[in-house]
Amino acid sequence: MKNKLSRRDLLKLGGFGILSAAGSVALTNLKPAEKADHKKHFLQTPTPHRPDAFSGMEHGEGLPGTGDVNHERNGFNPGDILTDFDYGKTSTLPNGQTLREYEIVTVNKNIEIVPGIDFPAWTYNGRIPGPAIRATEGDRIRIHFKNGSDHPHSMHFHGVHPSEMDGVPGTGPGGTVNPGEEFIYEFDAEPFGLHLYHCHVFPLARHIAKGLYGAFVVDPKEGRPRVDREMVMVMHGIDIDFDDANDFYAVNGIPFYYQNHPIQIKVGETVRIYLVNILEFDLLNSFHLHANFFHYYPTGTSLTPSEFTDTIIQGQAQRGILEFSYKYPGMYMFHAHVTEFAELGWNGMFEVVSA
Amino acid sequence: MTDQTSPTTKSRFTFQTFILLLLPIILLAGVIVLFLKTGGGLDLTSPAPIESLTIERYHLARGHIELNVQNTGPAELNIAQVIVNEAVMPFEVTPSATIPRLGKALITVNYAWTEGEAYAVRVFTSNAVPFDVMIPVAFETPAPEAKTFWSFTLIGLYVGVIPIFLGIFWLPALRTLGKQWMTFLMAVTVGLLIFLGLDTFIEALEQAAEVPSTFQGIGLIGIGAVATYMLLEMIDSPKSSDRSESSQRLNIAWRIALGIGIHNLGEGLAIGAAYNVGEIALGTFLVVGFIIQNITEGLGIIAPILRDRPNIRQLALLGLLGGAPAILGAWIGGFTPSLFLAVLFLAIGTGAIFQVAVEIGRIIQKDNVKQPMPGFIFSGVITGMLMLWVTGIFIK
Repeated sequence: MKNKLSRRDLLKLGGFGILSAAGSVALTNLKPAEKADHKKHFLQTPTPHRPDAFSGMEHGEGLPGTGDVNHERNGFNPGDILTDFDYGKTSTLPNGQTLREYEIVTVNKNIEIVPGIDFPAWTYNGRIPGPAIRATEGDRIRIHFKNGSDHPHSMHFHGVHPSEMDGVPGTGPGGTVNPGEEFIYEFDAEPFGLHLYHCHVFPLARHIAKGLYGAFVVDPKEGRPRVDREMVMVMHGIDIDFDDANDFYAVNGIPFYYQNHPIQIKVGETVRIYLVNILEFDLLNSFHLHANFFHYYPTGTSLTPSEFTDTIIQGQAQRGILEFSYKYPGMYMFHAHVTEFAELGWNGMFEVVSA
Repeated sequence: MTDQTSPTTKSRFTFQTFILLLLPIILLAGVIVLFLKTGGGLDLTSPAPIESLTIERYHLARGHIELNVQNTGPAELNIAQVIVNEAVMPFEVTPSATIPRLGKALITVNYAWTEGEAYAVRVFTSNAVPFDVMIPVAFETPAPEAKTFWSFTLIGLYVGVIPIFLGIFWLPALRTLGKQWMTFLMAVTVGLLIFLGLDTFIEALEQAAEVPSTFQGIGLIGIGAVATYMLLEMIDSPKSSDRSESSQRLNIAWRIALGIGIHNLGEGLAIGAAYNVGEIALGTFLVVGFIIQNITEGLGIIAPILRDRPNIRQLALLGLLGGAPAILGAWIGGFTPSLFLAVLFLAIGTGAIFQVAVEIGRIIQKDNVKQPMPGFIFSGVITGMLMLWVTGIFIK
């Protein structure tokens, strides 16, 4: 009589394979109605093409997440985002200070995030991440910000600046920029290091997770030692079904992009990566470099590396600079050593070629 | 209401009648066209894509997970991504990743699964709607080969055929009983049938809840049960009294066997499906439980014919009719489990069992017209129900 299974239980179990599936379907079916608002954009999307998943493997048989999205329709390509630092429109102020001016507009946009699935994103200038704003310490930053979406947004920079330029609700007109309105954020770039910016309108997690973030690089006045290649990598998640849990993970917008399109570098070439973590819903993100070690400068606020390692951890909004070079040619993976992120998109490759 | 139509308007089918019959249908077509074109002043466009994908079953083969899916939503949908245990996996959809309404497809996922481990498979449509299926214990799904065919046959034998024949073996002993005791046994059978009927009905309800809403599981139960009940009443209307009482009693036995047979078909379906997902491996004790419970079903079949002298052949056929459908059910459930079929069979079983219970009730009443409710009939029905209830406790 201790046996917990009964005849009736068996009958119930009988349909288990079928029933559990149908049951979960019944549950998930409730969702679309609840999130009707968010799904609105979907109606305008054309039927997505789905490249054959099996034949998408150009290299590396057995890698997850093959196939390509339509970058042209997305309007941006992680291959370009990797190196397109935005120095702004430069001029000199009467006091001799360098002025860097930027035009940034928020846009609602459907982005094909993985083959076949459009994500109704909120973007700075139509891309995820937004422009990698780059200046030298002490430069004057002037951002002509325009809200072209249907929700209030803002730009909140990590750095040192006056409260009214902090882009947080309650600190004046720059804290909440309503649809169709504009605001000019203006402040000095300091301190030097690697920072970030993001929307700070509430609900905060949703505003960030939908795509409103970017890197903010402040070079020291004397500059950093010269390297052969500089890259920016913004790590983030994508919650496509709005259940406040990430469904995919990526660097620079599109999951698996650098895995399917390896980044080419040469043997011996010095590489510097500006690495930012703007992950929502998960506490930690990480970066692991294969068959190599790198010097790590947390937040980039010192010119002396804190560590020589092959794996670092970053919490939400943490960032740092990596420097390394490869000794041998070949294919080398880099990915989150939070491995479940890797298999959901945060996976990349360096293709090191002989110099 | 009095009939006021004059006798001159006999039922004549004229062209005019035809037009009058057709008129509402033509008007209806007009209204539908108008409504489809204008929307009738209502804004009925859905703000969100409402999608529904039923994952009917999974099938594990070496290096592959296969999902049989059906689009049970209102519009066509696209399968965009498959995630197995939090990892994006390559997959193929045949015939096409675009599945029309009520269309079926097979999703094949390249995945080197490990025996005995658990897997969660999530299918994303292009509208980012997730559908999940759990694989609690992974093992290679038995293919319809001779060996598994034989296993299913054995299971059906153990839970269906053998216990019923064991019950039939009571016949020689019970034949020596007096008339009142035989009526008591008939009452026991009614109790058994009421309990089984309830059990079948509840099982049908539970399964119906899982049937995709398009197929209206509850309605299906109604149709299956009512149709079966009325069909059986038609086949043997009590007015056809040109037959001898003994052949009428044998007829009842046949129908008890049929009702129990359909009930066992439903059980076989469930057991076959359970075997496929590995649950039956836990069940030696359960099979013993089935034998104990189902032996009472054999008793039910022979109760009406205790005073007669049925030949061995008839008894064998009765036993087979009651028990063998379990084998058939196990085959169907094991190789092509279908919720739709399960609900339909359970509904038919419900209708058949209750009809037979009512029929036996009529016979008992005919034999005992003088008393409204003799104590031995009351105690018989309750005994029958308690027998199944108590053996049920034993299995727990």
